[in-house]
Amino acid sequence: MKLSRLFTWLPGLLALAVVLATALPPGRVRGFDMDKFGRLPVLEGGRIKPLDSVARNALLMIRSKQGVRFEGRELGPDEWLLDVLFRPATADAQPVFVINDPDVLGLMGLKQTANRYFSFSAIVPHIQEIENQARAAQDLESAQRSRFQRAVVNLFERLVLYNQLENSVQLGDSPGLYLELQSIGTPQAAERTKSLAGAARFRILPPLPGQSQDAWQNTGEGLLAASGGAPPHPALVSLALAGAGYKAGQPDAFNQGVAELQGLTANLKPQALRRADSEFLFNRVQPFYLGMVIYVLALLTLFASWLWRRDLLQPAAFSLLAAGALVHTVGLVSRILLQGRPPVTNLYSSAVFVGWAAVILGVILERMYRKGFGTAVAASAGFASLIIAHHLAMEGDTMEMMRAVLDSNFWLATHVVTVTIGYSGTFLAGIIAIAYTLRKHLAPELDPATTRTLVDMTYGIVCFALLFSFVGTVLGGIWADQSWGRFWGWDPKENGALLIVLWNAVILHCRWGDYIREKGLMACAIFGNIITSLSWFGVNMLGIGLHSYGFMDQAFWVLAWFIASQLVLIVLCLLPRRFWAPGTT
Amino acid sequence: MIKRFALRSWNFLASLQVTIVALVLLMALVVLCTLAQTELGTLGAVNAYMRSFLVWRQVRGLPFPLPLFPGGALVGLVLVANLTAALIKRFEFNRRKLGLWIVHAGLILLFAGEFATGAFQVDTRMAIEEGQTVNFLESYRQMELGLSDVTDPAHTEEYGLPDPLLRAGAAIRVPGTPLTIKVKQFYVNAQLAMRAAGDPPSMANMGVGANVKVTEAPPAASDKEVNLTSAFIEPVAGGTSYGTWLVSSGMGAPQSFIHEGRTYVLSMRPRRYYLPYSVTLKKFSHDIYMGTDIPKNFSSLVHLSNPARGEERDVLIYMNQPLRYDGKAFYQASYGKGDTLSILQVVANPGWLLPYISCALITLGLLVHFCITLFNAIRRRQLDGETV
Repeated sequence: MKLSRLFTWLPGLLALAVVLATALPPGRVRGFDMDKFGRLPVLEGGRIKPLDSVARNALLMIRSKQGVRFEGRELGPDEWLLDVLFRPATADAQPVFVINDPDVLGLMGLKQTANRYFSFSAIVPHIQEIENQARAAQDLESAQRSRFQRAVVNLFERLVLYNQLENSVQLGDSPGLYLELQSIGTPQAAERTKSLAGAARFRILPPLPGQSQDAWQNTGEGLLAASGGAPPHPALVSLALAGAGYKAGQPDAFNQGVAELQGLTANLKPQALRRADSEFLFNRVQPFYLGMVIYVLALLTLFASWLWRRDLLQPAAFSLLAAGALVHTVGLVSRILLQGRPPVTNLYSSAVFVGWAAVILGVILERMYRKGFGTAVAASAGFASLIIAHHLAMEGDTMEMMRAVLDSNFWLATHVVTVTIGYSGTFLAGIIAIAYTLRKHLAPELDPATTRTLVDMTYGIVCFALLFSFVGTVLGGIWADQSWGRFWGWDPKENGALLIVLWNAVILHCRWGDYIREKGLMACAIFGNIITSLSWFGVNMLGIGLHSYGFMDQAFWVLAWFIASQLVLIVLCLLPRRFWAPGTT
Repeated sequence: MIKRFALRSWNFLASLQVTIVALVLLMALVVLCTLAQTELGTLGAVNAYMRSFLVWRQVRGLPFPLPLFPGGALVGLVLVANLTAALIKRFEFNRRKLGLWIVHAGLILLFAGEFATGAFQVDTRMAIEEGQTVNFLESYRQMELGLSDVTDPAHTEEYGLPDPLLRAGAAIRVPGTPLTIKVKQFYVNAQLAMRAAGDPPSMANMGVGANVKVTEAPPAASDKEVNLTSAFIEPVAGGTSYGTWLVSSGMGAPQSFIHEGRTYVLSMRPRRYYLPYSVTLKKFSHDIYMGTDIPKNFSSLVHLSNPARGEERDVLIYMNQPLRYDGKAFYQASYGKGDTLSILQVVANPGWLLPYISCALITLGLLVHFCITLFNAIRRRQLDGETV
């Protein structure tokens, strides 16, 4: 008995052990201490972050992945960034630009093939044409652009980002920072320094004693200050050493330069270094990615439990779910601590949070009813939301700074969190209803007690969702009254939230009036998925209103398919059991 | 017979069916209104779908529009009536339903608040440059013909003729002055262009208008477009005409004439509402995150001066922190002129407190309902325990 109990917890513990193992530092790459380099703090996008985050976010935006395959080897984000900064010729040959749009490929005289990745060098001959097309499209509002125009603007923006990165520490065609330092004062140098100061993507020189806290400089600004007669920023020399070492393939010089930089930063801005260290660790562990994998394992184990040794596998699946929830929670809390903000600040974090709340609710349901359905529903909700989050991460830095009107921790913590929990509840009810539908048609026999449990769960969750979405919406109204002078403005996002409230109210009133029973309740709950997905993502696609903070292109079709699938499920839910096998109903 | 009919109507009015149908209609309206915003702009869509009793549509081939759908106001009214009837009929004052009773009363108040907003809210704005003192609000939509007597450099006397008065053919006496304004032509929206060689002569024979060609344009439909309201006018005083002038909100250069030693400047400008107090902008701040152009905060440090009430104080208006004064709320809304001009949105809504009260009621109702349910559950469990 005890042994089997231990066995049921083993998968979860194993999963956690694997997660912990990813936190261990990896070895050096070709002798270069990438790890130390990735931890260096810089100022970019208005906040302090490790170079590793700059590299990952850029690579995600440019290539939709956090690594590059080149010459038979997988380059990590830090190594790629080093190539971009110090070996631009090598970096230009790496296939990092993902291009899917056939018309954009056609613009470059290319056919659509299995290879979707192109190097900067391959794009360079067409760069003028791409820029012309993009500039023309940028004059239109994003909602009015055609698919081709959106794709070309997107490619152009990625090219700009790449170009900025390449010119962040030294100009792309620079002979090296050492020579730049030596040639300070010559007329050509002044010209080059000025363009370097303008192009740089990030600021790597920490403020010196006596300067303001925020006065981080990029290397161009550092060189400019030096040409004005001031002694060069000490970090410039170390950076030059690291760069020259990397370019020449001398790990010792590189490692020494990076170590000096780290020491300097530790003296000048110890908090920035600590912050960058924490974020670096967060990046390396990728808790949301691991959580996603663990949720899939939990789901598979649960499916297996319906076929074999339910007594062992169902608790094992729950232990995996618990491990996934723990990793998810740790990731969420780390983000809150790193950002110093409540959990939901943008579309990406809303996906992470919606999933988290649904998982927690599912865990509670499973502890209450112990039928395995709680695990199934929670694991699928967690997996689905983290996959959505994974795709949203390609829009850029997920810990971006908050625009002025949103910069209010109080309202982010109350209105946004409550509304998002309302989303979670509505989705969870919908997922339970989907489970009900699938079970109804696939399970060999139906145990009425379990059916009753599923209906009770759905009803309870709809009540919960109504409460949270209503309170959240009203809090949003109060925030709007505080900041824009109207309680309710019929803005698309507000309307979306209102639709969820109304729909949940409709479901409950129908139930109370006995207009719907088991099947009807479930079908309505699935329809709630459609409404929630539209309100969550659909309004961003309209591209109007105060809340349209993330305009998405490809997402449109994903959403359309999702809605179609839900409609099919609603029909299935309403059809009698085994309608496809006449005579067996 | 009548009694039975009345009873049945009453039962119907208080029924759940009506609630559900109204809620579903409201959902449909919300979707339609949201989609229509891409075309009509937010205000246009809200007026067409939400603040109307019926949604009208022009059907091809018919000379008049048809009411195709109940509007938000109608559905809202039905919901309120339904809720009220249900409250009276079904939730007789019994302790078990007390929570739900309070929740639904709060909901009625919420609807009332939205009705009050639709009916009474007035949005205006106040644009102030740093160092400037302003004692009037400007309308977003209405225009006026402005007459500024600038004879005394220390004090400008302002007169305004709101646009409803400005019809072609009208002759309007300007109160407090010897002037009468004859309106020759009025355009709600117009396009202005320099007159080309072949164009017919301008109606204006004074000022810059003599060289401008004016073409009538349809009124702005979306929130983003702005009307260029224009008019040809002729000031007359004591039997003397001062010529025909073109005034337009699209023209910046001041045009003036002198009558009996007093200089009057003509302009077409947003309608002004004067206040018994004034606001001076001391400093406007536009903070950004270091190394980006992401705005971090906008704020206006203003001085509020109300001699009638002996008030002289500084106020900082910033994001999520409006100034509430004199039944109005002043919000930081926009900025311009290289961060030296601050634009405050000024909202007067006598019903602004209603949503707050209703939220408090609903929260209280939910709490009460929760406590009652919990209490009942505990008691049931105790009873069960005793029977076992």
